[in-house]
Amino acid sequence: MRWLVAMTRAQQRWLPALLIPVALVMAVLFGSVQAGAAVSLPSKTADEILAMIARTDVRALSGTVEQSAGLGLPEVPTTGPGIAPGAASALELLTGTHTARIFVDGPSKARLQVLDQLAERDVVINGGNAWFYNSADNSATHLSAPASPASHGHESMPYRSTMPTPEAVARSFLAAIDSSTEVSVGDARSVAGRSAYRLTLNPRSQETLVDSVSIDVDSQTGLPLGIEVRAKDQEEPAYSLAFTELNLSTPDAGLFEFTPPSGASITEEVLPPKPVPALAAPPDAGQLRHSGPAPTGEGWDTVLAFPAGSFPPGFLSNPQLSQALQPVAGGRALTTSLLSVLVLDDGRVYAGMVPIDRLQSAAAAQ
Amino acid sequence: MGSSAGWALLGSELSVLFRRLRTWAMLIALAAVPILIAVAVKLSSRPATPGRGPLFLDRITQNGLFVAVTALVVCVPLFLPLTVGVVAGDTIAGEANLGTLRYLLLAPAGRIRLLLVKYAGAVAFCFAATATVAASGALAGVVLFPVGPVTLLSGDTISVGESALRSLLIAAYITVSLLGLSAIGLLISTFTDVPVGAMAATIVLSVVSQVLDNLPQLEWLHPWLFSHHWLGFADLLREPVSWTSFGENAVLQAAYIAVCGALAYARFSNKDVLS
Repeated sequence: MRWLVAMTRAQQRWLPALLIPVALVMAVLFGSVQAGAAVSLPSKTADEILAMIARTDVRALSGTVEQSAGLGLPEVPTTGPGIAPGAASALELLTGTHTARIFVDGPSKARLQVLDQLAERDVVINGGNAWFYNSADNSATHLSAPASPASHGHESMPYRSTMPTPEAVARSFLAAIDSSTEVSVGDARSVAGRSAYRLTLNPRSQETLVDSVSIDVDSQTGLPLGIEVRAKDQEEPAYSLAFTELNLSTPDAGLFEFTPPSGASITEEVLPPKPVPALAAPPDAGQLRHSGPAPTGEGWDTVLAFPAGSFPPGFLSNPQLSQALQPVAGGRALTTSLLSVLVLDDGRVYAGMVPIDRLQSAAAAQ
Repeated sequence: MGSSAGWALLGSELSVLFRRLRTWAMLIALAAVPILIAVAVKLSSRPATPGRGPLFLDRITQNGLFVAVTALVVCVPLFLPLTVGVVAGDTIAGEANLGTLRYLLLAPAGRIRLLLVKYAGAVAFCFAATATVAASGALAGVVLFPVGPVTLLSGDTISVGESALRSLLIAAYITVSLLGLSAIGLLISTFTDVPVGAMAATIVLSVVSQVLDNLPQLEWLHPWLFSHHWLGFADLLREPVSWTSFGENAVLQAAYIAVCGALAYARFSNKDVLS
């Protein structure tokens, strides 16, 4: 009898020790179930949601976005001394997970902060001026728009629309909607604490590498809050970009006034602009069409052909880019689960969201 | 019984802890880290290359206030967990080893109180250790280098006064970061009468946790590791301050305290204290 009493006393003492971990696990499970739970919203058709996106009028926001890419790219060395902003860091940003804070105020002011561990990369755009700052090597680059005779003063930076918000990326996909795309509405969900409709684009084509593109649209403002691109034959999303925090009030004006710190190495540059070395977006077919390359094929199967000399000479021999390119017949190729790029030995470049053999046959046809 | 006895016990615990030669030796060793960094940078003829070495090393010569931050970055992965592991591992096992545990438990319902007091002592040491590094770094920087406005990771510049405030926030962040490890040390300490074993196990766990945190194959595990947010204090050096990692870190450490505290209570209240 006495040992029984001793046992129960011992059990009583172990009980709280077991209850607390169990309670914690349950809290975590409950939390994750809630986060993934469907949100009930009045039902809307795909066209109504597309109209909401078109009407959206969010001029100012501050938020945190998280991007994760599972493109199957090889890991490239991250930032370090001597790594120029541009192709290399854009490529680095296409691997793994990155968190960034975005501040936008009107069409001419924006700031992007890529939050690296113990470091930060900043892009500050204010009217005709743009600053790039990299805390890892304390370097700053100042870009200013050339004074244009037509408008008074400086031209505005063309970068505002290239800020890697889910909105910008979503618009590039929405611009390409035509008969080759099936648009459907999925379950509403909660993104960054806001209820959102989910719009899903499915390519009808069997050729493309893209399986589906899902866009989460804020139910109140019509602002795209997140985007997820799935590749064929891959369980995890190949690319996702979504707000984790979002505040629609106007950010502090001081955030857009950038003065380079004393002791920083400063490079002054005047436009012509080069692409923002920011969280890279999938190629925007609509945008690229204007800048020269000839598209072949239709819809999701479009292959962009860049004639020789489209890129600056140093660009394609960049050591980090070279590392990612694999030799193939006739040139070198970058193959990912979503996008293929073929760099021919004669300088022509082909790109598209199709398998590499499609690019090769397109190159052979010309 | 009563709270006054509890406070008296805490007072005596703290005075024993901070009168120990070992505690002082560890604090002096921690204070030496920023001084070493500052002197090495001062004596070095070559300017440090930006982007190499620990955070802000290249900027110390321009601004002495960076010495404290650089020293904290250097101390967080090893030196601070090392000293905290020694103190937390010693809490119960040390008393058991000396044979004094029996006397401490003479008062009724003394076990919970003793655990709480021991943990509070370890927490006090976490704060003392972090503050020592920060204060010694600030002092060494002010003495050896010019002092001026501080550049944040975002490239924005803040005044000396605000930088002092941010340094305090960083010290608070790192103190909070070490609370989970202290709770683990306390738990291990209740399982053994050999203090060195508990200390070594605690320190090894802190290293293992950081190694696991660096393996990309174990990405699913990372948010659960107590060392996951240890370097997140850099978020306090952004403009505007990002509080996300402060909050996540606090919640994570609280969970470790709850789990380890509960297990330590269960183990300790069932422990046979014979010697």
